[in-house]
Amino acid sequence: MKKYSVFAVAREAMRHHTGWNRAWRDAQPKKRYDVIIVGAGGHGLATAYYLGKNFGITNVAIIEKGWLGGGNTGRNTTIIRSNYLQDPSAAIYEKARSLYETMSQDLNYNVMFSPRGVIMLAQTEHEVRGYKRTAHANALQGVTTEFIGPERVKQLVPIINLDGPRYPVLGGLWQARGGTARHDAVAWGYARACSDMGMDVIQKCEVTGVRSEGGKVTGVSTNRGDIDCDKLGIVVAGHSGHLADMAGFRLPIESVALQALVSEPIKPCMDVVVMANTVHGYMSQSDKGEMVIGGGTDGYNNYTQRGSFHHIEETVRALVETFPMVSRLKMLRQWGGIVDVTGDRSPILSKTPVENVFINCGWGTGGFKAIPGSGWGFAELMAKGQSPLTDAFGLNRFQEGRFIDESVAAGVAH
Amino acid sequence: MSEPVSALKNISDLNGIAAIREIGPLGMITLRGDLSDRAVQDAAKTAGGANAPDQRKINAEGDGGVAWMSPDELLILCRYDEVPLRMTNLQAGLSKGHALAANVSDARAVFEVSGPRAREVLAKLAPVDLTPGQFEPGMMRRTRLAQVPAAFWMTDAETFRIVCFRSVAQYVFDLLKIAAQPGSEVDFF
Amino acid sequence: MLVLTCHACGVTAEETEFHAGGEAHLKRFGPGSSDEDFEEYLFMRANPKGVHFERWRHANGCGKWFHVARDTMTLEVFGSYSAQAFAPPEELLSRIEDRRPGWRGQD
Ligand SMILES: Cc1cc2nc3c(=O)[nH]c(=O)nc-3n(C[C@H](O)[C@H](O)[C@H](O)COP(=O)(O)OP(=O)(O)OC[C@H]3O[C@@H](n4cnc5c(N)ncnc54)[C@H](O)[C@@H]3O)c2cc1C
Ligand SMILES: [Zn+2]
Repeated sequence: MKKYSVFAVAREAMRHHTGWNRAWRDAQPKKRYDVIIVGAGGHGLATAYYLGKNFGITNVAIIEKGWLGGGNTGRNTTIIRSNYLQDPSAAIYEKARSLYETMSQDLNYNVMFSPRGVIMLAQTEHEVRGYKRTAHANALQGVTTEFIGPERVKQLVPIINLDGPRYPVLGGLWQARGGTARHDAVAWGYARACSDMGMDVIQKCEVTGVRSEGGKVTGVSTNRGDIDCDKLGIVVAGHSGHLADMAGFRLPIESVALQALVSEPIKPCMDVVVMANTVHGYMSQSDKGEMVIGGGTDGYNNYTQRGSFHHIEETVRALVETFPMVSRLKMLRQWGGIVDVTGDRSPILSKTPVENVFINCGWGTGGFKAIPGSGWGFAELMAKGQSPLTDAFGLNRFQEGRFIDESVAAGVAH
Repeated sequence: MSEPVSALKNISDLNGIAAIREIGPLGMITLRGDLSDRAVQDAAKTAGGANAPDQRKINAEGDGGVAWMSPDELLILCRYDEVPLRMTNLQAGLSKGHALAANVSDARAVFEVSGPRAREVLAKLAPVDLTPGQFEPGMMRRTRLAQVPAAFWMTDAETFRIVCFRSVAQYVFDLLKIAAQPGSEVDFF
Repeated sequence: MLVLTCHACGVTAEETEFHAGGEAHLKRFGPGSSDEDFEEYLFMRANPKGVHFERWRHANGCGKWFHVARDTMTLEVFGSYSAQAFAPPEELLSRIEDRRPGWRGQD
């Protein structure tokens, strides 16, 4: 792999950019791999990357039915933060956030991590109390975050309306080193690094069956033939229930549509990420100047990658309350992703009833921020059978009643 | 005794494409029970001065009448000051079976939207087909107005009566006023 | 945007008049049941791609619960039926069969 560098850019500028190579090989499936990862979203690719980097396992295929990052990874609004309430969440999200800090250097690929700061507005007394509690918990967990008052919020976000028609802004939970990153670049950067380690990133290859013998996985069936493996990692977000069905077990997961939209590009007006969970909308400004906006999920199961129109209306209404200037903006595009929501709104990184089949799912509406941490922990789980980062996220927690109850703590999980 | 007042003291807005008036207070009694039971039907008739209506219908005359609210619920309409008497009658008529009558008059606010564009104003706020022929006097519709539940019926070809919770009266009045603001004709119907 | 018909009052309206209530026909397991059954009842969901049966409530209308048969891949609504049912009515099942031949074999 040729390294990307300022010298490479200069050199290519001299020869009309004729010397760039493909970032990753267009691989054909082999007969057998040590490990197959199903799903080339951020979590699948990161898992493969850390299998190679941390455990030297490189006979790996990452199989994707569509295109790289074409699932939720390429559809999300890229909010990155780690100030969750519960210890296991704070650990994995903070691991991820800290890996984001150096990801561009580690991958030699610019993922445009922008630690511009994330505010979660407190708009009811309950939220004030909840976020103060989170700030204290985070202090114990070693996660840097603070509760700030309304004046500070206004200072950070001049376009905000502190006394909205329904809910005043009473303060906010502020993580200064939270932010955003370029979603496609995260997938592309990992894919390039995986390919460079000799792994096969295979696009347009749909897994249609999971084969096993005596309760132990032997491989997968795909639209491009059978492929054998010793270990299988299922990392397919909204399609997890479907894949689990192929493997012969059930999941505590429902798939629903989550939408996002962007406005026309405008001059820089807001250089932090703001989440208004009570009125239910959040917004940041992309480098192109578009306001990137997200809101709530539909209340019913859906695999269509488009959500209900009234959710757009509700989201925009919430943001007009919070940022009155938004009312003058035209919206350019809207889309949806199928997110995988668990019973306690926390992810599952776990062994499964089928030996050597592992599953990483349930990231729901908020897993982009977790990609490197999840990949790190899940790779360890797949390689060694156990990882301190994933221990608490096992499938067994639903039977044992050990929930990681972030839904109550966060309301919105982005 | 204190004077009963409506939620918004009969506020009105007559400048828009339809006239908006808060009316009332009106008498309203929720009657829950088995609607196929003769005793319930008779009690409703005595209290509301009209036959118990069919599904999603209303039999009303002036401020009195009976509306179908759900498979086990009727709404009895009457003058506000008549409620205590009607309640006594209902309780007597229903004493044998299992049914419930509750005076909800003070929990409600009532609006009237009238004029040739009344349909248009309502259609902006409710997910209901208000095309003439689809929605007509004699029908009762429970739905939402923007973000809050509401129910409405027509007292004539150009007049709607809307019932909502008293706690959201101001919200509903503001909604109606905005939906009727001058120059906001859609000319759909 | 779904257009649903309330089985209790007969109103046909778009989804904002209703509230989704999750998978239908779950068998309740309470105190004294096995851990597996209790987990199954509380958390495990079919989450199918395709024909799906679920509970809805006419929240902004008559207030009653009812059942809906729907396709999660196309958002086609096959029909509604009473909340007081342990299984979808045969007539509805055969209507779905017409639209999705062989769907029953899929799960
Ligand atoms: C609109 C929206 C906004 C969001 N905003 C945020 C946010 O601001 N911050 C945040 O942290 N998170 C956010 N998220 C959540 C985040 O996008 C996801 O949690 C994360 O991207 C999941 O990554 P993944 O790799 O698990 O899944 P995906 O990126 O969906 O990848 C799964 C892949 O599996 C493939 N696949 C499925 N079935 C098969 C099969 N049978 N064979 C082969 N391949 C298959 C799919 O094609 C897909 O590419 C948002 C999500 C959405 C939809
Ligand atoms: Zn109904």
